[in-house]
Amino acid sequence: MKRDEIPPGTLYLLILKTLALSGELHGFEIADSIQRASEEVLQVEEGSLYPALQRMLVKGWVTAEWGVTAGNRRARYYKLTAAGRKQLTLEMSQFQRVIGAISRVIQTA
Amino acid sequence: MDTPMELLRRIGMLMRRRRFDSEMEEELGLHLELREQEGREAGMGPGAARMAAYRRFGNPTAIKERSYRSWGWDWLESFFADVVYGMRSMMRSRALTAVALLSLGLGIGANTAIFSFLDALMLRALPVKAPSELVLLGVGQNIGITDSIASTDLYSYPFYRELQKRNRVFSETAAAFSMMNAVYGRVDGRRDAEAMNVQLVSGTYFPMLGVQAGMGRMLSDDDDRTEGDHPVAVVSDAWWTRALALDPGVLGKGVKLGDTMFTIVGVAPREFFGTKVGQAPDMWVPMSMVAKVPPHWGSYGGNFDEALYVMGRLKPGVTPAQAEADVNVLYRPIITGFGDANMNREKRAELDKAHINLTPLANGLSDLRGQYSQPLKMLMTLVGVVLLIACANIANLLLARSNARVREFAVRQALGARRSRLVRQLLTESMLLALVGGGLGIVFAMGADRVLLRMVSGGPETLPLDVSINLRLLGFTLVVTMVTAVLFGTLPALRATKLELTEALKDGRGTQQGPSKSLPARVLVVSQVVLSLVLLVGAGLFVRSLVNLTNVDTGFNTENVLLLKVDPSSAGYKDDDPVRLRGLYGEIEDRLNGLHGVSAASFSLFTFHEGSWNTGVQIAGSELGRGLNVKHNIIGAGYFKAMGIPLIAGRGFGPQDTATSQKVAVISERLAHTLFPDGNAIGHHYHIAGLTSPWEMEVIGIAKDVMFENLDEAPEVLDYISYAQRRQYLNDIEVRYTGDFKTMSAEVQQAIHSVDRELPITRVMSLDQQVALSVTQQRMVAQLSAFFGMLAVFLSCIGIYGLMSYMVSRRTNEIGIRMALGAARGDVRWLVMREIAWMVGVGVAIGVPMTLAGGRMVRTMLFGLKGTDMASLAGSVVVLLFVGLVAGYLPARKASRVEPMTALRYE
Repeated sequence: MKRDEIPPGTLYLLILKTLALSGELHGFEIADSIQRASEEVLQVEEGSLYPALQRMLVKGWVTAEWGVTAGNRRARYYKLTAAGRKQLTLEMSQFQRVIGAISRVIQTA
Repeated sequence: MDTPMELLRRIGMLMRRRRFDSEMEEELGLHLELREQEGREAGMGPGAARMAAYRRFGNPTAIKERSYRSWGWDWLESFFADVVYGMRSMMRSRALTAVALLSLGLGIGANTAIFSFLDALMLRALPVKAPSELVLLGVGQNIGITDSIASTDLYSYPFYRELQKRNRVFSETAAAFSMMNAVYGRVDGRRDAEAMNVQLVSGTYFPMLGVQAGMGRMLSDDDDRTEGDHPVAVVSDAWWTRALALDPGVLGKGVKLGDTMFTIVGVAPREFFGTKVGQAPDMWVPMSMVAKVPPHWGSYGGNFDEALYVMGRLKPGVTPAQAEADVNVLYRPIITGFGDANMNREKRAELDKAHINLTPLANGLSDLRGQYSQPLKMLMTLVGVVLLIACANIANLLLARSNARVREFAVRQALGARRSRLVRQLLTESMLLALVGGGLGIVFAMGADRVLLRMVSGGPETLPLDVSINLRLLGFTLVVTMVTAVLFGTLPALRATKLELTEALKDGRGTQQGPSKSLPARVLVVSQVVLSLVLLVGAGLFVRSLVNLTNVDTGFNTENVLLLKVDPSSAGYKDDDPVRLRGLYGEIEDRLNGLHGVSAASFSLFTFHEGSWNTGVQIAGSELGRGLNVKHNIIGAGYFKAMGIPLIAGRGFGPQDTATSQKVAVISERLAHTLFPDGNAIGHHYHIAGLTSPWEMEVIGIAKDVMFENLDEAPEVLDYISYAQRRQYLNDIEVRYTGDFKTMSAEVQQAIHSVDRELPITRVMSLDQQVALSVTQQRMVAQLSAFFGMLAVFLSCIGIYGLMSYMVSRRTNEIGIRMALGAARGDVRWLVMREIAWMVGVGVAIGVPMTLAGGRMVRTMLFGLKGTDMASLAGSVVVLLFVGLVAGYLPARKASRVEPMTALRYE
């Protein structure tokens, strides 16, 4: 099955949304749940996921804490902060504006 | 842009750098394992699952690095890498590094040291409240006491009070005695008198400056309203430390000055040293006590006892120009309003001409400033040039090294390093070099400061000048260091990274090493030669100027004279009891004359370079001498013999000249010619003005002209008065002796103490030393410029040597071929030496005009020389040629020893 790359600039949005829906997740779960939520269309390039998470840590949108997985393994769990939630709304509206604009362009053509 | 929280998070991450790595590793590892597990669950073999997981994930190390880079610290990391790499490459070429660091250290150290003096003397603000609001009336160049009708530098106490009352421009005014009283006082309960410097100030002095007591209280106007009834003193922190060993019971302690016991009421804050840079009073006493402080100069109530500096704090919004206008408007009415002004036409004219300039007091006053500001600025330029030469040197060494590193850079560029990255690395190395050099420089400067301070002080006591390392100084050094790094680092860095790759990878030895490649290096060496020439000629000028000064005929015989000072005023002698005072002088002179090996001994008011007391003289009924300012010396009968001043005509003083007999004077040749142009002056009379009642003097002798204040002065008009006829505290004793100075000094002091053991003795030295002291500034300039000149030449030598050795090693191949084709060793040597001669020649050709221009700028600092001195110039050129050739000889010899076969096999 062919999967599409995530459009540039939307990775943060996807991570933020995923965390908003699921609460605490570790990196692997984030990648998987994006893939699942997109019904296997979107595949997170895993190489970009971790640098993006670190960037979000710098920005203070998420916090990270070590916890234990169901399989009894140590894993770093990411959680949205208040700033992250604000960022999510911001990115959502931005995204919708852009998508709306793009679809208008496409439809007129 | 980072928010503060972000920055905090980023810094926090930096602190946990190691944990970050291991956590990243664990996190990525987990991801891979989970993915692998997923594969196996989907039915892949263990190997295949692992491969698939990796393929999907990518390179974990790269991801880790990119994650790290998210935190924005990668520049720091590469900077550290550069630093470490730079240190390694510095350690690899130790000789080069050592030379570079030494030149830098010396260069930066010299700059820091000279700057610290410039800073202390001219730039630093007084440690008082809002120093920029403070102004001084006058220019602060005069010290002493005068009775002039139109004194614009020194003022009387009543004038200060009048100005305080009537001005509209100052929020506060204060006055300070222009002289510091060097007193021998006694701390209550101690037997021995100790030297202490007492500064008389108005009660408003500390309130105006806004200086708060470190302990107790400072003086206030209440201490200074009525004369004589406030024997209180504020002592300096330094004195409290030195004389009282920080005794906590300092307040309330007594200090006896003259006959009066002063009570210590406060200790000044540590940083406060008064308002005169280079002078540090031990205690401050209110002006109301002026009459009680030995040697009892000046007065509290005399309208024309003008000995004070007057200063004020500008009211908010008042400009210095407005203040100056207001002060000048008040000046004449205040003066003419004094009951004893006795205005006449001459005085009126003098007063009308007078104008008071206001001087900013932000940096304090200084007697040193006038003398040293020009030399210091000149020296600052010199050390700047030395640093430039050092920079050229290092640039050259780095150029040579970067040529040796050509392959390294070629490989790195071939592997994809960007040029900017390499330039950055090279500049980091330069910066590193400069920083270490700067650190060394500060260490050198701390040592040099102490030496310089001793040179500036000249005499046995060091000046209280704070030249220790401070923040401003460190800032200066840091800036200088950075500038040097850029200066010497840029050119080599740019050149090193500009490569034709393929040529360089072939290790580019041999043919393409044409002159264009070494042109920058040559230009650097030539400019070193130019700058060295300028410094050398400068040094030559100053040294020759000093020699001229020391060869000046002083008119007196400076050899075998012992000088010392006693202080009768501190030992309880009163100048209103002249009989006792003269008795003391006479008895000491007799005792000294009786010593074995003493041929003459005498008291006097001055010897040489001790200031002067001058007034006008006049001949009754004649215009001769009108407006002539004559310097007076008051002496004992043995003075001429002790100083070795020949009498040309007439006689010296004798027992027949007493307090009641006709006033007599010995005058200098020049004064005799001026006052009595018709011939013999002996027996004629003249008047000394300015004394309480004009004195009519009869000339009894003519003495040879002598230098009086400085060696570079025109011969002065002088007269000598006997202490038998004028009551005066005399402090100087001069003894002409034969034999050993040390023994004689001990015997003389013992003899004086056998007359009065309470009499304090200070400043024991020889007349030679005293004369040498008068040219302290010129000697310092000569020594320092000579030192810097030699340093410059030395650095240039290293430059020439380095360049030539490098060129010889690069041309080994060519030299081998030449020799194989039959060139003699001498020819090869000449090949190298010719190069050096050429560079030095070009340097000299460019340097000579610059030198001539520079000489004109320092003309005012020279004595007996014009700005262009052919001897200095020729000497410097010879020195430069000589050392240049010496520096080049070693490489030349090495070149001539090249074995043709080895050279040809080389590469």
